[in-house]
Amino acid sequence: MERGYEVIVVGGGHAGAEAAAASARMGARTLLITPDLSRIGQMSCNPAIGGVAKGVVAREVDALGGVMGRATDASRIHFKMLNESKGPAVWGPRAQCDRGLYPRAVRRVLDELPLLDLFQEMVTGLWLEEERVRGVVTRGGLRFGSRTVVVTAGTFLRGRIHIGGEGAVAAGRAGEAPSLELAQALEARGLEVGRFKTGTPPRVDGRTVDFSKVQVQDGGGGDYRFAGYVSEELPPQRDCWITWTGPELKGIVQRNLTRSALYGGEIAGQGPRYCPSIEDKVVKFPDAPRHQVFLEPEGLETTEIYVNGLSTSMPAEVQEEFLRAVPGLERARITKLGYAIEYDYFPPHQLRHSLELREVEGLFFAGQINGTTGYEEAAGQGLVAGANAAAKVLGRDPLLLRRDQAYIGVMIDDLVTRGVDEPYRLFTSRAEFRLLLRQDNVLERLGPIAREKGLLTKDQDSVLGRRLHDRRALVEWFRQTALPPEKVNPLLADAGGTPVKEPLRAEELLKRPELGAEGLAEAGELSPRPPRDMLHAVEVEVKYAGYVRRELERAKKLAEQAEFRIPEEAPFGQFVTLSREAREKLARIRPADLGQAGRIPGVSPADLQNLLLEVRRWKRGRERAVAGTE
Amino acid sequence: MSEIEGPDTIVALATPPGRGALAVVRVSGSKVREILREVVPEWDERGAERRPVLASLVDPESGSLLDRALVTFFPGPGSYTGEDLAELSTHGGSLVPALVVDAIERAGARMARPGEFTQRAYLNGKLDLVQAEGVRDLVEARSEALHRVALHQMEGGLSRRLAELREGLIGLEALLAHHLDFPEEDDPPVALERVVEEGRTVLGGLEALLATAPEGELLREGALAVLAGRPNAGKSSLFNALLGEERAIVNERPGTTRDAVEASVSLGGYPFRLVDTAGIRGKAGEVERLGIEVARRYLRSADVVLLCVSCEWGWGSVEAGFLEELREDASVLVVRTKADEGALSGDDGSAGPGDPDADDRRSASDPRVRGVLTVSALRGEGLEGVGEHLRDLVFGGAVAGSGAAPVLTRRRQRRGVEIAHGEVTAFVDALEAGVPAEMAATHLRPAETALEELLGVISPDEVLDRLFSEFCIGK
Ligand SMILES: Cc1cc2nc3c(=O)[nH]c(=O)nc-3n(C[C@H](O)[C@H](O)[C@H](O)COP(=O)(O)OP(=O)(O)OC[C@H]3O[C@@H](n4cnc5c(N)ncnc54)[C@H](O)[C@@H]3O)c2cc1C
Ligand SMILES: Nc1nc2c(ncn2[C@@H]2O[C@H](COP(=O)(O)OP(=O)(O)OP(=O)(O)O)[C@@H](O)[C@H]2O)c(=O)[nH]1
Ligand SMILES: [Mg+2]
Repeated sequence: MERGYEVIVVGGGHAGAEAAAASARMGARTLLITPDLSRIGQMSCNPAIGGVAKGVVAREVDALGGVMGRATDASRIHFKMLNESKGPAVWGPRAQCDRGLYPRAVRRVLDELPLLDLFQEMVTGLWLEEERVRGVVTRGGLRFGSRTVVVTAGTFLRGRIHIGGEGAVAAGRAGEAPSLELAQALEARGLEVGRFKTGTPPRVDGRTVDFSKVQVQDGGGGDYRFAGYVSEELPPQRDCWITWTGPELKGIVQRNLTRSALYGGEIAGQGPRYCPSIEDKVVKFPDAPRHQVFLEPEGLETTEIYVNGLSTSMPAEVQEEFLRAVPGLERARITKLGYAIEYDYFPPHQLRHSLELREVEGLFFAGQINGTTGYEEAAGQGLVAGANAAAKVLGRDPLLLRRDQAYIGVMIDDLVTRGVDEPYRLFTSRAEFRLLLRQDNVLERLGPIAREKGLLTKDQDSVLGRRLHDRRALVEWFRQTALPPEKVNPLLADAGGTPVKEPLRAEELLKRPELGAEGLAEAGELSPRPPRDMLHAVEVEVKYAGYVRRELERAKKLAEQAEFRIPEEAPFGQFVTLSREAREKLARIRPADLGQAGRIPGVSPADLQNLLLEVRRWKRGRERAVAGTE
Repeated sequence: MSEIEGPDTIVALATPPGRGALAVVRVSGSKVREILREVVPEWDERGAERRPVLASLVDPESGSLLDRALVTFFPGPGSYTGEDLAELSTHGGSLVPALVVDAIERAGARMARPGEFTQRAYLNGKLDLVQAEGVRDLVEARSEALHRVALHQMEGGLSRRLAELREGLIGLEALLAHHLDFPEEDDPPVALERVVEEGRTVLGGLEALLATAPEGELLREGALAVLAGRPNAGKSSLFNALLGEERAIVNERPGTTRDAVEASVSLGGYPFRLVDTAGIRGKAGEVERLGIEVARRYLRSADVVLLCVSCEWGWGSVEAGFLEELREDASVLVVRTKADEGALSGDDGSAGPGDPDADDRRSASDPRVRGVLTVSALRGEGLEGVGEHLRDLVFGGAVAGSGAAPVLTRRRQRRGVEIAHGEVTAFVDALEAGVPAEMAATHLRPAETALEELLGVISPDEVLDRLFSEFCIGK
């Protein structure tokens, strides 16, 4: 058995799969260890990928060469573009996946990577020498050596599942053992630990649902794809349904509130506000007359239905009772009970932007253990941690994504700069440059970065080359092509616009609110037809040029601030011209540059100015001291 | 990891140096307790918080007695600076306070830079920038009006208003976040009309605040009131009478005043910069002509012009011509001077040259003239009326009777609110023009930043907090 690796990834969830794949693509000999190889890429909760902001992240992972986009395309059985009626910059692709197909696709993609090995075992500890990682130790007592380790243990660290108030079960996920030794081993390193919780709704047998009482939602979305480099075959598509809870359910929940693990005082961890349990919804919004419930198929070959919207920690009989109060579910038979789970996480201010721990060299964390929630968030971090674990071994520059480059950059900066006080999920409102961070320009944004860092396979690289070329050609086409009135006026007539009298350049026409890039490309008989997302990207950049420019200018300012680097060993505590609060926060977070310092809550603009002066003075003093000793 | 060091300790005389029965010496920083123990040996920390204690002050090295003084200790963070702070009320004069400051310095403090106590209060979050500016204005106030506004500002009145407006902007962002980030929720989508309406509310608040800026800035700088008129009209006499002191030379010879003379004065409770100028006439000597040029420059930037017309001669073509030279929007108060003389000539009942009604008729036709008053500098009559009139003319709008309403008193404040106003206007316009919400939203953060920079606070991520408290979100 080969026991020497360059990078070891612990955990085969969404973070782990991306970390291992990124590391192997970079050229590092990589091992992924997880307790059950058949569950690599398993979806713990709703089998859905994407949504507003999250859908963009899935595509960012793909653009950086990752697994998630391909696995989603290969397993999606329902698709919807959220926000399609709103501006193109906030469109959110969302796919409902087949719970079985998804992990199989992940496994297939991982198996394509020659430098990646898989091994089935539970990791119980780190193999450390001084403050540096040497590898991992498994439950069976095996030691695997490596230069760097990425831990992606998800919700498994001291996980406890609650169904109703009657005692909790130690578990990492329903039916899977928790990870206790590793949690202890990490805590013993002196890391700060926190506790979060999340929950999941019951699943029901689709054969017992009365579909005549619920509303059908057909997906549409045609051949939309998350993956930009490889075209997977799409499975057949299925419908989803909507139904609503009413006053009866509210009454049942209210009457049984003390029996809920959440409200009976069993659970201490903080849960996400945007993923409330039905108990939360009833308690916090008692006036809401109803709440919607999405019924989502779990797969093509199962009749199981995911009851999205009724996450709960009530005992079994209460779950049965309130389901009967939901139209369409009167006779529904539960196949899996809803539950809440509590688990350890490590407050992420202990990390660098590379996701390496400050205090333990060579150790990287990614995914849920950093206090986030969601597959896409986990995947994005996994990719960055894996790439950086490999970069460190291979002596390359780290992959650091800026806030204006990717949602992944926004997320990681938020995590290490501000920390978390509830499970962190991405929203477009977290990004100050959301016009730049769109689903339609991921390849142009991140492809070149992935290429430079060595994250792309040869095939991916050549697809990217073509894509960038085509994109430039498309912009040129809009600039150069004049469209005659007889081609344009039918489009204008359809949209109720005033007709034109002479030929106009396509770019000029695109600035009109009633004309779109797709229509103009068709009217101009552009062939071959460019991909739709590319057309949309050009449309946004022409039509809203002023807004996009403003964001670019602001991004430039931020980059200027980031150019003032602050050495990690700067004695923040001694900068007495700063407020005490600022000094404490700075000493805790240790920002890498002035821009990051400015985003720390509690650091005022005056503090920031004084920080600049103090760091300059300190650097000068240090240089003099060095010169003096020579 | 580096230790968090306490702030160094600063000392300064808080009262003006020189003669005075008492003086106050302030010390602030992490070593105040140690210093007190050295300089005030009998001071006992226990039970001495926020209570004045009479004690002997001694030289830390020789132990010789310096003074008996009242010592008050304020422990941080509940003090003005947010640090440990002591105030020592010593005897006044030039020697004792200096000895005490010196002793405290030798016990481990350093001399404070000007404004450093307030700066520390700001750094430690006891005051925001706007409040710190209020402190400065309060100390420097020379009129009751500025005193009132500055006090309100120091107490956080303006800051609260700015914070409310910023809250309003965060509310807008939260509505948009609901609109953009949560498309599939229980609550129906937020109608953009509601966003526009709330945008207008914020805009209204910004506008109301901006409207106070012109007068607010004059409150600090003093409104420029320029005395003008023919030579010998009695301008310098009125100037002196309003000041209450003989500042300008008065003489019966026309052309006495050559250069402009400026003085600050509080009239009707409001601050003015009163300027006496050379009388304007056609045939003047070289020096006088230069004086007249200066006068014209002042007149161009005047907030109000006091056009002096002697009752001896009354309104004439010179005055009419003079009015025409002024800016369209100039504001002029016609002051009929030497009422004692004019009254004599009007005694026979004829509508002579000094007839007040006739002057009124001729001057009132010009929209620049906002009032006509009669005074006698010699007898001191009608002076109060001039003060009140000036006050109403300049400060009659947003500031008057503002009582406890916030007022912008600095260009910096006005700039910030103007930027926010411009951005929110663009935001509302864009939404109304059908521009997608996420595009229009690019105007909100710069508006927030402008207000935050005014206050000197940084924005934590409040948008999502607002959102989750108002809407039931998530599946
Ligand atoms: C009950 C539940 C409800 C959820 N609800 C939501 C929701 O409503 N919305 C949402 O967005 N997200 C939800 N999630 C979160 C989502 O599932 C996670 O965010 C995501 O799976 C995290 O990915 P990860 O790779 O970090 O961890 P996981 O997917 O949890 O993967 C962890 C992996 O590490 C392995 N592992 C653990 N310990 C060891 C060890 N010692 N040695 C080796 N391998 C180890 C595990 O076997 C597993 O393969 C929920 C999760 C759960 C469990
Ligand atoms: N009787 C009387 N005489 C006054 C009064 N005010 C001013 N005078 C006299 O008028 C003369 C001119 O007064 P000034 O105040 O010097 O006039 P001025 O307008 O400043 O003149 P120039 O500086 O020369 O332009 C002096 O002799 C004053 O004593 C008044 O109220 N009553
Ligand atoms: Mg004079």
